[in-house]
Amino acid sequence: MTPFVLQSRSTLPSPSAQRQGALAAWLLLSLWLSSTTHAASFSFFSRKPDGPATYRSQCAKCHGPAGEGVKGKYNDPLVGDWSIEKLTRYIAKTMPEDKPGSCTGPNAEAVSRYVHDTFYSREARARNKPARVELVRLTNRQHLLAVADLFRAPGEEPKISTGKGLQALTYKSRNMRREDKAPDRTDLKIDFDFGAKRPDWAGEGTNGFAIQWSGSVLADESGDYEFVVKTANGVRLWVNDDEKPLIDGSVSSFKGVEHTATLRLIGGRAYPLKMEFFKTSRDPLANVTLLWRPPHGAQQVIPARNLAPERAATTFIISTPFPADDSSVGYERGVSVSKEWDEAVTHVAIEVATYVARNLDRLTRSKPADKDRTAKVEAFCAELVTRAFRRPLTDEQKNLFVTLPLRSATKPEDGVKRVMLLTLKSPRFLYLGIESEHPDDFVVAERLSFGMWDSLPNSTLTKAATEGRLHTREQVTEQARRMLADSRSRGKMQYFLHRWLQMHHIEDLTKDQGLYPGFTPEIIGDLRTSLNLFLDDVVWSESSDYRRLLLEDDFFVNARLAKFYGIKTNAGEEFIRTELDPKQRSGVVTHPYLLAAFSYSKTSSPVHRGVFLTRNIVGRSLRPPPMAVAFKDGDFKPGMSMREKVTELTRPQACQSCHGVINPLGFSLENYDAVGRFREKDGNRTVDAAADYTTDDGAIVHFKGARDIAEFAVKSDHAHNAFIEQLFSQVVKQPMPAYGLDVLNQLHLSFVQSGYNIQKLLVDIVTVSALQGTGTPVSTPKKKT
Amino acid sequence: MNALHRRQFLKAAGLSAAALPFLTGLPSLGLAAPARPRQRLVFMFSPNGTIPAAYWPDATGTDFQLKEIMSPLETFKNRMLVLNGVYNKVRGDGDSHMRGMSCLLTGIELFPGNIMGGGGAPAGWASGISIDQEIKNYLQSKDDTRTRFGSLEFGVGVTDRADPWTRMSYAGANKPIAPISDPYQMYEKLYGQLKDKENLQSVLDTVKGDLQKVGKLISAEDRRMLEEHQALVRQMEKEIADTKEQKLRAAPPTLGEGIADQNDNLPRLSRMQIDLLVNSFVNDMARVATLQFTKSVGMAKMNWLDIKDGHHSLSHEPDGNADAVAKLTKINKWFCGELAYLVQKLSTTPEPGGEGMMLDNTLIVWTNELGKGNSHTLDNIPFLLVGGAPGFQMGRSLKLEKVTHNRLHLALAHAMGHRLETFGKAALCDGGPLKLG
Repeated sequence: MTPFVLQSRSTLPSPSAQRQGALAAWLLLSLWLSSTTHAASFSFFSRKPDGPATYRSQCAKCHGPAGEGVKGKYNDPLVGDWSIEKLTRYIAKTMPEDKPGSCTGPNAEAVSRYVHDTFYSREARARNKPARVELVRLTNRQHLLAVADLFRAPGEEPKISTGKGLQALTYKSRNMRREDKAPDRTDLKIDFDFGAKRPDWAGEGTNGFAIQWSGSVLADESGDYEFVVKTANGVRLWVNDDEKPLIDGSVSSFKGVEHTATLRLIGGRAYPLKMEFFKTSRDPLANVTLLWRPPHGAQQVIPARNLAPERAATTFIISTPFPADDSSVGYERGVSVSKEWDEAVTHVAIEVATYVARNLDRLTRSKPADKDRTAKVEAFCAELVTRAFRRPLTDEQKNLFVTLPLRSATKPEDGVKRVMLLTLKSPRFLYLGIESEHPDDFVVAERLSFGMWDSLPNSTLTKAATEGRLHTREQVTEQARRMLADSRSRGKMQYFLHRWLQMHHIEDLTKDQGLYPGFTPEIIGDLRTSLNLFLDDVVWSESSDYRRLLLEDDFFVNARLAKFYGIKTNAGEEFIRTELDPKQRSGVVTHPYLLAAFSYSKTSSPVHRGVFLTRNIVGRSLRPPPMAVAFKDGDFKPGMSMREKVTELTRPQACQSCHGVINPLGFSLENYDAVGRFREKDGNRTVDAAADYTTDDGAIVHFKGARDIAEFAVKSDHAHNAFIEQLFSQVVKQPMPAYGLDVLNQLHLSFVQSGYNIQKLLVDIVTVSALQGTGTPVSTPKKKT
Repeated sequence: MNALHRRQFLKAAGLSAAALPFLTGLPSLGLAAPARPRQRLVFMFSPNGTIPAAYWPDATGTDFQLKEIMSPLETFKNRMLVLNGVYNKVRGDGDSHMRGMSCLLTGIELFPGNIMGGGGAPAGWASGISIDQEIKNYLQSKDDTRTRFGSLEFGVGVTDRADPWTRMSYAGANKPIAPISDPYQMYEKLYGQLKDKENLQSVLDTVKGDLQKVGKLISAEDRRMLEEHQALVRQMEKEIADTKEQKLRAAPPTLGEGIADQNDNLPRLSRMQIDLLVNSFVNDMARVATLQFTKSVGMAKMNWLDIKDGHHSLSHEPDGNADAVAKLTKINKWFCGELAYLVQKLSTTPEPGGEGMMLDNTLIVWTNELGKGNSHTLDNIPFLLVGGAPGFQMGRSLKLEKVTHNRLHLALAHAMGHRLETFGKAALCDGGPLKLG
């Protein structure tokens, strides 16, 4: 983790303004950075308070006529989420900067009300600049998934029962012949050391023995998976490819060879896996282990919970890297195109074209010599283009995208390549909502599938659109609810949760080994798994209760984690739910993975933790800090507690408007060290985790520790709204106000009524976005609460 | 291998590494004249030993007569260097065929493993890199000798099986490199991008038109992004047109269609591969190549020579079997004929951007995993060099004193500018590179 640096902005004010700015540093609101020292102009205070006039005469020169900021004075737009009352108190106390206390009472209230209602508040901003649903291209994730699903077999997914391990066919000789068969079985994992002897099941024999495993492997997260096979014998491994082995280790070395190969996988999906192992009569020893290093994880034997005996279908996964999507507003969205992007798109089109040309026989179920080859190729192309464009082709489109390119090439392989290049470079594939001025059922289907899955509509959804069954709110909600059961919804939910908890940025959690011996890459990988299991367990349970994410006191642990964290459990290698002390643990904010992530290498970091809690859990907005202040442990007197150091560092008035919020939240987690273990002491000092938190309305709430924050958040409308907004933007990838100013209230009401059901919230959000502009009302009649 | 490349591919910083090669054309089109002559090296392999009496010239020095097997090279005698007395002295696990093959270019022992041959202990892959790959890595590490592929591994009728009998090139210990036996696959590797570009170019007009049509469907506010997109498509069109003007020095050869990878097609497959090899050299895609005919213990049935027996079975026949000796002589002469075709092509193709012919700067090493088929000896391995390289005086027949083949590899490396002190098993490098000047 990089040290927490209070970043300075790229456009620095002039030195003098910077000095003055330092006084007003990191304010949610800062007014009157006036260089005039005369107070004479305040005579109007005797008149009736006039907010607009006061603002124009006194505030506008630093804050701009419409609060947009003035370069070199106060750069930032005057926006935030404080109430009028809090603004008024703040102005009365601190403004104008050169003469605090001169604008008070009704005058302060008048200017505060004017600022708040004209441009400061969310409502004012929405009114001034109405958000709209913008034309967007596919994000990189959507692109990856859409291409994968282009080749997905139609129909529902096959049932994959992970946790059961792999099917194993065993043989009493190295030749895997039927007459040599030993009994079939399933193996929870592949990790065998047979030593120099034959295993009992292999019986007597002189020609070695063999095992053939098959089934599926489930990828928890998206990214590069390094598969590793360790063996002193012959092996071959196939993953997500039934023909070409990922690892061919038929030729062995007695010393034992470690075969490795890396594969990119999309998280939340299962992939077919097959492995053959054989021992020849000459091999002195027999052993075989199948391991992997998943993204964000450590090398480990592939555990049973990622293995299933059923065979999943293969998934086509592109390998082209893309330039990062714009995420300047907090979520990835496709609002710009660049040369690099266009080249990546083209490269993907070539990758796909090559794949289709190479597998043309299998994909079209025909042979070059077949009489109906041309017709079959054409039909296949038409179907693929239709799927890519998410709507039926007009005759003209069919001619343009299928018939003409097929005829333009001399060889059918080149013709098919041209179809694919054209299709995957077409705006009809690359952009969402192209024909959304009058959204029809196909647009609704597209919005549903990209909302729920970040991918193309499946055959059920397309059928519903074709039959005109995506008209009413009930029909749309029903589809969204049905789509929840698809594993792609889990993938999308995980995508959101990882961003909500900032887990997607976490790469290296290594801590000082002298202070935290035993905090190994394996522990770090286990912690991530533990948190993922917890999130899945809560979200995909029937109640899917948001509050449980914050209040649960049992986590998933395995024996290794239990040992490190001193937890009593029966867990072995596999993870089981284990109840912890509710005084010590309360939901995600106390999960050691996040606590360790928001820490330094040697110490906790109340600032990191506090910022995370402020923004993502209690849902307050924070501005980026105006100046860089690095935390240097050596700057403090030895023996000080972390709390004392942070208090000292952020003592200046300039820091306090934000740190007044951040610090109490961060201090409440001081009972956890840099690896998330519960502690009573910080060095020799007893930990003081009690703190007074000031709400956005200025009320004071006393927190005694982590659980109090969680209890506060689950009851706070502010926190709920922040959760809803984040889910909305990660799912829809458009600004929520574009869907109506009342959407948040509606979603909130429904969220509360459903018992804070996250699945239901997702369905609600996707329904709202799918029906936008169709004329179908999305709101339900308000019930009395 | 594939997965390894894929990983590197994904890890490549930024995008240009992935997308650019196909857009801006092939990295090395060989247009500018090189600073110094391009030196190239080819290893050609044929299996199962030779018939010494019909192979080795009797005389040494510059005045020597070619025997039956080498007779196809008669016109190139002054470009030949016959090296008798080179021994593969690598011992250890594996039968002679396995060690003959997998130690041929590596000069180092095989790992103990699970592959049981006709004698000796079972073995696995070679425990080190092969000389062709070592030289390739060296050339790729230097700006002035780097080429698009560095090395190309051609096969002719190599069975689709990975074991120490089928692999002679190694990227490192336990890392055999599979030769590409299918000329169409090799063509795709060499020229696939050109075809992609052509296909891409054929669709860009439609893409532009489509963007225009779609632009009319959306609001003016949203049109900006589509206009930028259109500009990008136009830019790509222009870039492709620009790179197309940098023509390849030699157009890709036209391959006959539908030649299946099977025994009776070996003569045609061989010529297709040799044509591709020479073409890839003209376009400077690689400076090192291997050309592997079948494999150790290869069982080619040379029906086109009217020989119905499998090559390896024949090679076990005793010296007294005159019929077998005659057939084996014919078989080896056929391989030499393929070598002659390669040499002929290189000798008539002008050195791109340089003087003379390509053969002047190409050294071909024709070799075999065994000295003699029925004895399985690794002594007197056939090493015939044709062409030219610095430090090699051609037009001679030499009888060397039981020198290790590691020392020959050192000499080859030095000729390619890579001044290795030892290669493979260091103990077999005593005396340093063979002096062949």
